[in-house]
Amino acid sequence: MPLKKTPQVFSASIDTVTIGTGEKAVTLGGANVMPLYAFDAPIENKPALGLELSDAGYNAELPKLADFYAGAETLADQAKRAAALDGVDFVTITLNAADPTGENRSIEDCVAECKSVCETIDLPVAIQGCGNIEKDEQLFDALAEALQGENVLLLSAREENYKSIAAAAGLAYGQKLGAESAVDINLAKQLNVLITQLGVQPTSMVMNLGSAASGYGFEYVASTMDRVKSAALAQNDAMLQMPVVTPVADDAWSVKESIASEEDFPEWGPVEERGVQMEISTAAACLASGSDAVILRHPDSVATISALIAGLM
Amino acid sequence: MALKGLDIFKLTPKSNCKECGVPTCMAFSMKVAQGAIDISKCPHLSEDALAKLSEATAPLMKTLSIGAGEAEHKLGGETVLYRHEKKFVSRDLFAVTVNAQNFDEKWAETEKIDYERIGERMYVELLDLEYTGDVAAYAELAAKAKGTGRTLIIDTTDAEAARAALEVVAETKPLLNGANAENTEEFVALAKEFKVVLGVQGEDLDAIYDTIKAIEGKGYKDLVIDLGSASIKSAFENAVRVRRGALKGGDRSLGYPSIVNVAELAPGDLHMQQALASLFTVKYGSIVVLEQMTYAMALPLYGLRQNIYTDPQKPMTVEPGVYAINGADENAVCCTTVDFALTYFVVSGELERSGVPVNLIISDAGGYSVLTAWAAGKLSAGSISKFIADQGIDEKIKNHTLIIPGKVAVLKGELEQKLPDWKIVVAPNEATDLVKFLKDYAAA
Amino acid sequence: MGKFVVIGERIHCISPTIRKAMEEQDPEPILKRAKEQLDAGATYLDVNIGPAESNGEDLMKWAVQLLQQNFDNVPLSLDTANQKAIEAGISVYNRAKGKPIVNSADAGDRITNVDLAAANDAIVIALCSKAGVPADNDERMVYCQELLERGMEQGMDPEDMWFDPLFLVVKGMQDKQKDILEFIGQLRDMGFNSTGGLSNCSNGMPKEIRPIMDSAMVAMAMQMGLTSAIVNPNDQRLMETIKSCDVIKNETLYADSYLQI
Repeated sequence: MPLKKTPQVFSASIDTVTIGTGEKAVTLGGANVMPLYAFDAPIENKPALGLELSDAGYNAELPKLADFYAGAETLADQAKRAAALDGVDFVTITLNAADPTGENRSIEDCVAECKSVCETIDLPVAIQGCGNIEKDEQLFDALAEALQGENVLLLSAREENYKSIAAAAGLAYGQKLGAESAVDINLAKQLNVLITQLGVQPTSMVMNLGSAASGYGFEYVASTMDRVKSAALAQNDAMLQMPVVTPVADDAWSVKESIASEEDFPEWGPVEERGVQMEISTAAACLASGSDAVILRHPDSVATISALIAGLM
Repeated sequence: MALKGLDIFKLTPKSNCKECGVPTCMAFSMKVAQGAIDISKCPHLSEDALAKLSEATAPLMKTLSIGAGEAEHKLGGETVLYRHEKKFVSRDLFAVTVNAQNFDEKWAETEKIDYERIGERMYVELLDLEYTGDVAAYAELAAKAKGTGRTLIIDTTDAEAARAALEVVAETKPLLNGANAENTEEFVALAKEFKVVLGVQGEDLDAIYDTIKAIEGKGYKDLVIDLGSASIKSAFENAVRVRRGALKGGDRSLGYPSIVNVAELAPGDLHMQQALASLFTVKYGSIVVLEQMTYAMALPLYGLRQNIYTDPQKPMTVEPGVYAINGADENAVCCTTVDFALTYFVVSGELERSGVPVNLIISDAGGYSVLTAWAAGKLSAGSISKFIADQGIDEKIKNHTLIIPGKVAVLKGELEQKLPDWKIVVAPNEATDLVKFLKDYAAA
Repeated sequence: MGKFVVIGERIHCISPTIRKAMEEQDPEPILKRAKEQLDAGATYLDVNIGPAESNGEDLMKWAVQLLQQNFDNVPLSLDTANQKAIEAGISVYNRAKGKPIVNSADAGDRITNVDLAAANDAIVIALCSKAGVPADNDERMVYCQELLERGMEQGMDPEDMWFDPLFLVVKGMQDKQKDILEFIGQLRDMGFNSTGGLSNCSNGMPKEIRPIMDSAMVAMAMQMGLTSAIVNPNDQRLMETIKSCDVIKNETLYADSYLQI
């Protein structure tokens, strides 16, 4: 006697948001089933993968990563490599060097660099700020204007600076923006309400709900996403139906397990493999919890996670 | 599971005879659902209806145990699909495959993975004994594996091999995986004879379900469902349909723990096995079988499991104490924060990143974040100074500089009074600013 | 149980403006009231065309199409004593946003409206009364059971039967109020949905008192498990209370702007 199938298909669905232009444009979201439950109903847009580049350069001490980017001096050259890698749906630039407490690169330089990347590759581009509230606000305002027509994703507007970023990215210059809340579900919803009240369409925004590496408070990430997805689908909460984009790379590559040297922890083995396994574990857990896109740093992680997604669809 | 009045009402005669003392069958059903009246007060309920009711109130997912003595592990007993609803109860277990040819080498590697993280021992709990076609060698493998003290999985569909292994290791309560449509008779007999939990396999979920029904028909219900290795998609689908069918659908023939062999789903690919092990840790795996466990895999995987299986009502905490970071000695500066695990990890991570040697002092702050602990009186000048005195930190550490979290800058004055020979320094509000702060501080 | 379902009551032939609009089939006043109610947070709109014995079928069809075409297939509650008019309304009804509601059946003459709902895969509001006001909760429960059995015999999903405990006016029947709340709790324990004309409780009270009394009643009734009510969504205090109760009951996620969405 065959087991009765009782698919859990919702009448509500996740919004669809498209980034980039032309044939390589990527559409996020759209599912009307719980994350990865393609067996309940087909998931039209599979979760997307972004490869992360930093304007501060890559970690050349990791042999495989150094090998992958060998000879690619400029960010645009590195973007070309990234874009050519199988499984990469979009390229992410993180503007670490803009941080006023660090290199404090000028807005003009950052804009020029992002522009050159957009001109070099035909994949969609997402841009992450440096984390400094004021600088990011200025950066995103300038980027939104300078990259008109590219339909880039700007990550992310926060409670403190969403107004001008939303006005520039979401209203004036037709870009997409991310609303960032640090694993705080009520703030996530509130920020979406505020941004849509400014007139930004839900289809012009995604959520960055915050993340954590495996072992570093991931329970909060999992439960936040579980609750967001169930509110979006089961309660048809329009203010939580935006797709979720999770920058996994930064968290995964900054915990002790991915940094500590092999000299200090000989039994742990090579650093690079540890970082890759941390990134893979975190990304798989994020996808299982509800990320509609994850941003990764290492080509090996991309190979595995894209195969995982393909295997599940 | 709480029954709704309607479920009970459907079983009543709906005659409103009032013999139970309640005016209508519906009111009676409602009172039974509330627990205000006992079901037996209705003289007209059939045996069948009563049996259905008692079945309906039984737990939806069985709790089983495998392994004996210190190696005993609980499986199953879950009541919810999402951890925010209620705690997940039985953390998933990890197994590594071994066979007669590679046992010594693999065990030597596996044994190395053994460490503690936030009060929990992290190691490979189970060994999965692959059968390679030689019964005598299999019995020998079982005997060797028994010597490790780990819990064993007898992974064969061959009844003769299973018996040979069971005869050697039955008292260690291994999991026998597994039974299928062809060997049901023999495997149920083995499970009964040796009193072991039985894994059920099949080419797809329909076949597995049929075999479960057949085994239940023979009166055996200590089962584990093998999610299969046909494909990643089908294993994941099975994991979800089994758990959902049990907890939401109320189908007790699906209310068993699961086992998933990711070594078979991605042979030779430890990256993919890591991805799958993480996936099944988040979603509904009870036992995950890997080809190998390395530190690079274990560190994230066990951390993830620890996270997912924490009680959502109770924060994870670290042991109070002094943690030496970046090779800190008695001359290194001191820094303090709360025992809330997340705060500890964020702060210690940033401290490590700074490269500056620091003694991180963690006092018992009730598992709250900094501001909450302060508001609750769990992180105060009194609590910090008392901890420093109780632990003899005054003597142990010569550098009497204490950096306190920026969010509790208000404590500075009071701390200076309570710790007169200490210099109190206020750190930035956010942990992310710690690296620069410490580097600047060390340079000054 | 899900978010509280507000059924907007303001498209009602008792209102002179609406009556006139229905007589003349003039869309404007009806669309205006519909928009006001939807903007204020109504989920369903009740369409009461009165007895409408002569032209009920055409009138209901007209009203259903008018409202659904202008407001993205807004789900409707069809409210009239004319069964043929309800059937006519359902025949042109679009279910994209929710099943139609048949308003209403009781355990007396109008029990056939249960049959009508069953035959048309609609929701039915089932009044737990026969003729007049039930004496006590035992009597309510008898009617509830009669209605339920009628529906189940015809294959209705019990979830589609929304039982109405019959809200009574406080001024005059103050001693019955606790019974009603108690009965809502019994409906919840059975796992049923419930609804009713909640503002009846404040009937006859001064205008400035009514929102206060209605808000208190809805909060207490929601705590007992009431899942819906037929009310005036443009009563701001009432709607704020309902939204707040939904947050407290964890039926919707809190955000600082929750009153505005």
